[in-house]
Amino acid sequence: MWRVLIVEDDPQMREFFAGSVLRSPQLTLISSVATVADAKEWLDRATPGVDVLLTDLGLPDGSGLDVIRHARLRNPGCEALVISMFGDEDNVLASIEAGALGYIHKDAAPDDIANTILEMKAGASPISPMIARRVLSKYRSMQSNIALAHAVMAQPAIKNDPPDSERGLLSRREQEVLELISRGFSYSEIAELKSLSVHTIQTHIKSLYGKLEVHSKMEAVLEATRMGLLPRQSPASEKK
Amino acid sequence: MTHRRLWPWLRTLLGRGAIPVCLLVGLGWASAGSAAILSLTQAQAAVTVNGETNHRTLDLPYHWDHANPGQRGEAVFDFDFELAQAPDAVWGIYLPRLGNAYEIWLNGIVLQRNGDLQAYNGADYARVPRYITVGSGQFKTSNHIRVHIRADVGRRGGLAPLLIGPQDEVYPLYANDYRWRVTGSVAVAAFCFVVGLTALALWSTPAGPPQSGRMGRDPLYVFAALAQLALAVSVGDVLVENPPLPWPWWGMVQVVAVGLWGCSMALACMEIARWGLQPWAQSFRRWLTELMLVCPVMAWWALGSGQPMALTVWYGLFEATLLLFTAAFLWSALRQSHVEQRMVAVAAAINIGVAVRDLYVFRIDPAYGINTWLRYSSVLFGLALGYVVLLRFRATSVQLHDLLGTLASRVSKKEDALRETYAQLELLARQQERTAERGRILRNMHDGVGAHISSAMRQLQAGGVGPLAPGQDEVLLTLRDALDQLKLSIDSIHLTAGDITALLANLRYRLGPRFAAMGIELQWDVDLLPLCPGLDASAMSELQFMLFAALSNVLQHSQARVLRIEGHARDHMRIFVRVVDDGCGFDPQADQRQGLATMRERAASIGTHLHISSQPGKTVVEIQLDVESPGSA
Repeated sequence: MWRVLIVEDDPQMREFFAGSVLRSPQLTLISSVATVADAKEWLDRATPGVDVLLTDLGLPDGSGLDVIRHARLRNPGCEALVISMFGDEDNVLASIEAGALGYIHKDAAPDDIANTILEMKAGASPISPMIARRVLSKYRSMQSNIALAHAVMAQPAIKNDPPDSERGLLSRREQEVLELISRGFSYSEIAELKSLSVHTIQTHIKSLYGKLEVHSKMEAVLEATRMGLLPRQSPASEKK
Repeated sequence: MTHRRLWPWLRTLLGRGAIPVCLLVGLGWASAGSAAILSLTQAQAAVTVNGETNHRTLDLPYHWDHANPGQRGEAVFDFDFELAQAPDAVWGIYLPRLGNAYEIWLNGIVLQRNGDLQAYNGADYARVPRYITVGSGQFKTSNHIRVHIRADVGRRGGLAPLLIGPQDEVYPLYANDYRWRVTGSVAVAAFCFVVGLTALALWSTPAGPPQSGRMGRDPLYVFAALAQLALAVSVGDVLVENPPLPWPWWGMVQVVAVGLWGCSMALACMEIARWGLQPWAQSFRRWLTELMLVCPVMAWWALGSGQPMALTVWYGLFEATLLLFTAAFLWSALRQSHVEQRMVAVAAAINIGVAVRDLYVFRIDPAYGINTWLRYSSVLFGLALGYVVLLRFRATSVQLHDLLGTLASRVSKKEDALRETYAQLELLARQQERTAERGRILRNMHDGVGAHISSAMRQLQAGGVGPLAPGQDEVLLTLRDALDQLKLSIDSIHLTAGDITALLANLRYRLGPRFAAMGIELQWDVDLLPLCPGLDASAMSELQFMLFAALSNVLQHSQARVLRIEGHARDHMRIFVRVVDDGCGFDPQADQRQGLATMRERAASIGTHLHISSQPGKTVVEIQLDVESPGSA
């Protein structure tokens, strides 16, 4: 049973999503709230923690992105889906970078909503060709920035931590999958073309989302360091 | 009375004569051609120094400074001579030099008077030759001439031999002497002045690239200017009978001018030879500076304190210095291939030779009445220096011109780069504006139309699980269609211009669930299509609407079971997009549905070819686009 928290300010929409969650026997609705503050409060005191967060982005007292970050901070195992009207790339990418693993359209059918949540928990993440294209483009620029990141930081903090930097790069397989998605191929068609299982394809996508989040944090640190907001780590400080 | 015919050439060349070379040539010729010219070279003189008068017979020329070193005084020269007969024509008396002030009497009559015989260190009239016209009847068979002079210290006072004879024979000698000593000097002084001012103007006009931190100010110019202006002062002194400063101050100015000329000349030569950075250059400059500092002291000592040897010694040191320097400069010039240095070296060598000669005849030899040669030879140096200055200025100007050309080219390039940057900035600003506009439209759609449609759908679905009331399913379908179209519109905002693959992929993504919900199998046969650069955002939107209309038609009317979307390129020149279904079909010609007409209009507006063929079991909507120029398809 996955414990679900819904954050949506439109009562009708909130009710609809709550009903959709309740229809699935594998999902438990722990609460549905309308504001960032209420959501954070729930996240802070929910025991055990929230497994799935469904959140709108435009909330009366802030952004749903803050709720996602807070949820990830409180419980890294919490997986978030953004409730999006259009699934437009700007909002979806921002959500993924904040830690979301996908999105649900506001006009989705009730069964689709529950299915999307369950598929996400099973390892799948939805992605549109437009977003795949943007992610590809973003990763290409990331690859060129990796060297710059080393140059700017130029400290053992990065040099001695290859997993962090390597997580910023796409594997060849991931790149191929993204390219095919961006060309409009479905998961099953890609699986057939590449002789992979659909589940493997879905795992690749989820992995990509994770990298986006990690890299987003790395970029934030890098940018802050460039701007002098964070001190550059020295070997001496590393030893302390 | 001595009738002198011709002085030896050698003595002439050494300057021992009483008049310059040319005059001597003229005199020799005149003497050889006429016996009428008398030269009075011996006189009964009364010389008064410090109130003490000595009477004696003196041979002329009488050089006061040599006869009475460091003393001032006056002298009266009496000449008595006989003529065979009193001349009935106009005669003349030519005095190559006398002074510093004087009176000339003939047979008790004053012929000429210049200056105050009692005012020592006053006006100086010993600078130019004198000629006195004597009318017929003034000369007798027995004649007496008296010349009374006042002589100052170190001012080349004295008396040269008198030449007496018919005017047509004596006057040419005087005129010739005057021409060389006065007219020539004026010309030389004017020339030096012009060259000096020109060099000074060039120096004060930065015309070249920075040199040693000073913008275009070549030191050669200022040294050349100083040398020439100092020489102008020195040579032009021949005209100054009433100096602006009293003697000996004016005399010191003249000595300093000579020193300045020599030192500036040496420094200019150093610049020409580019010796400025030689190890010895600093020491040499210091030595020249010391010579110049000592110069007024020695001049005062000689002219003011009556110790002429002091100035002789200084001149000796000065000329020795320049002699050595010129020798080195000449040697260097002969080893170098620079024409300008050789030219200046030759001029400098001639000048130094002449200067040594002048030093000898003026400071050592008791000759009187002769002229300096340096004033003429210095013209050579002035010409050479002026030539070098102009040559260098021209080269610098060319260099500057090139530099300005390069600078202009650089500025032009920078301007181009700046324009490009501005264009990029403008482009960026426009893109930002578009992005902001898109964001605004997106928010409006999200909060407005999107929210309303979404709410309407949820209202219809209120209760969620039960079947919809009759007619509600169609309303829901319409609302879903509207929302899909809205999503596609928003997607089109982000579509890359000309990327038809992305457009088709997005259509599939948005409408795929609808086909799946209706049980229509979707077959995807889309290659990676080349970009169509000419297909802008507006055209992309039109293309998207055409395809949406075709797909919507399949969804709503075709009753198809299989839908195939194809996208292929032929030779990277033309793109074919096809929507093929196996539905009931329709008659494209007879069917006047609004959707088809709109599709045709949209196709025409973006210049694509639209082909629709339909029959039961197979309907094909084909859109053809040219890769390079979609509008011309």
